[in-house]
Amino acid sequence: MENNNKTNTIENARKYGTKLWKKKVRKFLNNKLAVFGLSVVLIYILLMVLAPVVTPWDPLEPNFKVKLAGPSAEHLLGCDSLGRDLFSRVLYGGRTSVLIAVISSLIGSAIGTVLGAIGGYFGGIFDKLLVRLQEIVSCFPQLILVLIVVAFIGTGTWNLIIIFALTGWTGCFRLVRSEFIARKEETYVKVCEAFGMSSVKIMFSQILPAVLTTVIVQLTMNIPGYVMQEAGLSFLGFGVPMTVPTWGTMLNAAKATNILINYPHCWLVPGAAICLFVLAVNFFGDGLRDVMDPRQQ
Amino acid sequence: MAKYIVKRILTMIVMIFVISFVIFVALQNTGVDPVAQSLGVDNYSAETAAAIREKLGLNDPLIVQFFRWWGNIFKGDFGYSIANGYSIKDGVLAKWPATLEITLWALVISTIIGIGVGMLSAFWQNSIIDYLGRAIAVLGNSMPEYFFALVLIQIFSIKLGLLPSAGRIPVEGSRIPNLILPIAALAIPLCGNLMRYTRNTMLDVANQEYVKLARSKGIPEWKVYFKHIFRNSMRPVITILLFRLTILVGGSVAVETVFAWPGVGIVLTQAITASDYPVVMFYTLFMAVMMLSISFLIDLLGAVIDPRVRLEK
Repeated sequence: MENNNKTNTIENARKYGTKLWKKKVRKFLNNKLAVFGLSVVLIYILLMVLAPVVTPWDPLEPNFKVKLAGPSAEHLLGCDSLGRDLFSRVLYGGRTSVLIAVISSLIGSAIGTVLGAIGGYFGGIFDKLLVRLQEIVSCFPQLILVLIVVAFIGTGTWNLIIIFALTGWTGCFRLVRSEFIARKEETYVKVCEAFGMSSVKIMFSQILPAVLTTVIVQLTMNIPGYVMQEAGLSFLGFGVPMTVPTWGTMLNAAKATNILINYPHCWLVPGAAICLFVLAVNFFGDGLRDVMDPRQQ
Repeated sequence: MAKYIVKRILTMIVMIFVISFVIFVALQNTGVDPVAQSLGVDNYSAETAAAIREKLGLNDPLIVQFFRWWGNIFKGDFGYSIANGYSIKDGVLAKWPATLEITLWALVISTIIGIGVGMLSAFWQNSIIDYLGRAIAVLGNSMPEYFFALVLIQIFSIKLGLLPSAGRIPVEGSRIPNLILPIAALAIPLCGNLMRYTRNTMLDVANQEYVKLARSKGIPEWKVYFKHIFRNSMRPVITILLFRLTILVGGSVAVETVFAWPGVGIVLTQAITASDYPVVMFYTLFMAVMMLSISFLIDLLGAVIDPRVRLEK
């Protein structure tokens, strides 16, 4: 009898769980902008992953016969000043740009989450220091801060990721910290403490899972910012080396006055690729937040 | 209150010291030899380098050098650029007005338009102005400002030939046309965010109990709108605006580059390209002082507005 009751409860929980999940999916699908965002992001990913199949052109192979050529059936989006196919460069360059953004966002969020958990849970002087540090880092205009760090560490793909992670942890830190401050007073945490569970275990196996959705949303929302920063830095000449195609280095390559004025497709293509991607991820992230945020239920 | 202010100022001084020390130590470890750099390849010899090093006191312990640097700053001597030898005080500060000129205007214009349109779109929710405002906000959020600047140049300078595409001071005639595009490129992204923020805060406040109470008491609608909703939603908006003041010091690097605008942003990018560390360092310190002052201002304002903050500290 008792056993029966137990299975019933579990089944109910499972049923309710799937129901909630279905409800969330339905809510997301009802949000047209979010669905649009997700579809565009998926198309981007598909095209970038299948780049060798989608386009026959090598992104690094110059061909002076088609130097600065406009869009045509052969070269869908035209060619740059060295005659490299722009469509192919957008796809291969997108791989690097997006990968940099995603890795930076992952590392940055991890740093922010761990620091936020520690600061929020323990409080005290360490927390105060972290909050001050966060204040300074998040106050600086992002590009300036990154530029200053570039001046000290130097440029290059991996340096860029390190810099982005070091300067981009503050959003996650704030969110996780405030969640931890609120949740550490809750009964289930008090119970764990009374049972003598270690602080680390309480923080990471009891409180963190409840906060994780917030972190995931924040992580997604950080990605567009990194894409734009990579492009900005590379555009100014402090990002990824010019030999590596990214959306930023493509913009940089189109910076010469002659190209800017007479061959706008050279910078319009990477610029539009950035805008559309950023727009799509923003829409998707907004939709995700609406669905995942427990306060919205 | 006085105690709180003194405490905050003291923390600020300590923080400036800590930040400057971090920058100073980082500078020492960049691996670039300022003496060799300033001498150049042709004039370099071990003896002259050693002599200069001795003369400048570069052989002293780090901590001595650090305090000497601070002493000089108090005397108004900020050091010299390694790359070009100009005095940093003149080189960087002299460029600031050019940056201020565009950033200040961009801030003022974006604030007026942002709050105005934000208010209107909260008032007439789901009207044309609301949709337009939201579209601009979305666009401003997803367009890097330098790309936006390029598009503006393409349309208004090249296709239409209405406005100059670069430079600050024209050969002849008014300077105002030169200002329009850089200011627009800076202001429109700023506008979008502010619009959205103002709109959302006002809608939040409009749903509060005390607004409903005011309405049910029969207070005229315009009075509810301005006295209860607008005033209470301005507090978070003002905080956002204060944080934006940092743009005045260097929020325009990319736009300055596109428009060949001779401001501090260009100085900074040149300094980074040339490994001109004293300049970068001064700039960073300058920024840090600005940031901390602003954050102090925000806290102070918070304490003045909200008595709970005052009592807590």
